[in-house]
Amino acid sequence: MAETGATSVTPDERCAIGITFGNSYSSIACTVDDNAVVIANEDGDRQIPTILSYVDGEEYTGNQAKAFLVRNANNTVTSFRDFLGQEFKSIDPTHCHAAAHPKDVDGGVSFTIQDNVEGEPSTVSVSEISTRYLRRLITSASDYLGKKVTSAVLTVPTNFSEKQREALIKATTAAGIEVLQLINEPTAAVLAYDARPEAVVEDKTIVVADLGGSRSDVAVVASRGGLYTILATAHDYEFGGASLDKVLMDHFAKEFMKKNKDVDPRENARSLAKLKAESEAAKKALSIGTNASFSVESLAEGIDFQSTINRLRYETIARKVFDGFNRLVEGVIKKAGLDVLDIDEVILSGGTAHTPRIASNFRSIFPATTAIQAPSTNPNAVNPSELLARGAALQASLIQEYETNDIEQSTHPAVTTVPHITNAIGVVSLGDDGEDIFTPVIAPETAVPVRRTVHVATPKEGGDVLVKIVEGNTHIKVTKPEAKPKENGTKDDDEDDSDDDDSEEEEEETREKVWKIGATLGEAAVRGVKKGSKVEVTINVAGDLGVTITSREVGGKGGIRGVVKAP
Amino acid sequence: MTTATVVSKPIPALAEGWSAEKDFKPLSSITSSSQRTIEPVGPHFLAHARRARHKRTFSEDDR
Ligand SMILES: Nc1ncnc2c1ncn2[C@@H]1O[C@H](COP(=O)(O)OP(=O)(O)OP(=O)(O)O)[C@@H](O)[C@H]1O
Ligand SMILES: [Mg+2]
Repeated sequence: MAETGATSVTPDERCAIGITFGNSYSSIACTVDDNAVVIANEDGDRQIPTILSYVDGEEYTGNQAKAFLVRNANNTVTSFRDFLGQEFKSIDPTHCHAAAHPKDVDGGVSFTIQDNVEGEPSTVSVSEISTRYLRRLITSASDYLGKKVTSAVLTVPTNFSEKQREALIKATTAAGIEVLQLINEPTAAVLAYDARPEAVVEDKTIVVADLGGSRSDVAVVASRGGLYTILATAHDYEFGGASLDKVLMDHFAKEFMKKNKDVDPRENARSLAKLKAESEAAKKALSIGTNASFSVESLAEGIDFQSTINRLRYETIARKVFDGFNRLVEGVIKKAGLDVLDIDEVILSGGTAHTPRIASNFRSIFPATTAIQAPSTNPNAVNPSELLARGAALQASLIQEYETNDIEQSTHPAVTTVPHITNAIGVVSLGDDGEDIFTPVIAPETAVPVRRTVHVATPKEGGDVLVKIVEGNTHIKVTKPEAKPKENGTKDDDEDDSDDDDSEEEEEETREKVWKIGATLGEAAVRGVKKGSKVEVTINVAGDLGVTITSREVGGKGGIRGVVKAP
Repeated sequence: MTTATVVSKPIPALAEGWSAEKDFKPLSSITSSSQRTIEPVGPHFLAHARRARHKRTFSEDDR
């Protein structure tokens, strides 16, 4: 992927951090004793609005810049990250509507802003805007750490094109920062969870739902022995935090108009900016409380406005947006060729993921066995607003001691792109009724080479046993509720009203995942096993998909080793 | 070495008459796989990359 920046720092000179640079908010993080810590900027903010504003030649960023959207919108640049490396004709400028407008300069994207005390306004490319913004983030991090930050790992959406990645590296390098690596956002979120001290390495299939301001991105990630493979992704630009703001803006605008006919606060730029800022604040308050107040001085035509909204009302008017998130998640699982029953965990990431209703909706889509990692469903969930920056910081601390060369070689496709087995590989044991039961040892979609070991029980009396290694795959078994026998058992002649009675008590069908045994890869005999002993089976799949199976009594020496040749 | 998980259901007794050279019968190769990209992220990936670049096996890695 040979895409790290030109600036090269030797490992011992490095001071590396993690950066997540979003369209709406950004965060910076470092590690302290291997724990990721998100850094507050000079205003005390950990979610720093991705905004630059210029007033009298002075540059403002974060929440200070955001406040200027009311009276200095034209010199305030917002929502620009996605424009990096894009042609003007392919961008969606919607989210810049109430700020400096993107402009076509030689096919690329620029903004015209008054960034000097006097003289003509300047036309500044999105690359330069990004550099200026990133420089501010780095300064905040350096101030916090008390030493100059030299290097960073940054997160990017999974659908960032090669051009966008290059443009981001260029903009970061221009800010004087060595880019150690760009990592995918969902992977950063998974890493942040896996790095917690209580985490155990286990095979699981995870959906990461990253719900931001202007976009929502979902991914299905196979986590196998600590290695992560993205199986499918989906992106949505229609539903995000901004659409929830819009729902509240419309709601409060209508409330205002009930009292002040003919004054629509959405029709005046300043009023609109105030309406938006307060709606976003009310939305955030509704993530914690069941009520939020809305209060703006001089909302429109000098009229002050106060109102409140409760969570139930909010959830009703925002339902369309919430349904959009459900569909996005269901869609990506389908795209991965999986079922909700295949998903072990859902990680909610991004600011919008604080919304309790979104988590409870996901809770109802998935079976009870699926862990839903969100603040409202799990008190131990990681703050969704911090996941990406934490993941980036953890990766930065892992690789900062490597030579740039080493990082480049390790991230090269020759190392990362490898065969993944389609079916699970496991052992056949006997069920209570003597039926064959498949137990997976290596999960489907595991990268090779891989090696896994299990200890299997043996028949009560011990003796000679058969280790049968097979492929297995799952299918979803649907059990329809049994048709209820009619009460009283009598033929109810021609009474036609019975239908209605039935439907009232209709039970839902049950869906379960069952394993099906496929091809047998190999069989081994382990002889003379002691009563009550277990057999240790190690399955090793090499990079060429050749399989080596080793079986022995636990504690025993040697064992039976056999090879199944590569396909 | 990773700790082994335990399968509690017993494997079957060897059928009468089962025999194979060195007590192992290879039967079928892995039937299906696809080329995918591992995310170059996290401590386990670094171990994978080290093995891949130095062409080392798991057991060499264990030593
Ligand atoms: N506590 C909260 N409750 C509800 N929404 C919140 C909360 N905190 C932040 N948000 C919303 O989350 C969104 C920002 O998400 P995030 O911080 O993930 O930004 P981002 O990745 O920069 O967004 P994008 O790139 O999609 O525009 C905003 O719409 C913000 O209002
Ligand atoms: Mg985001």
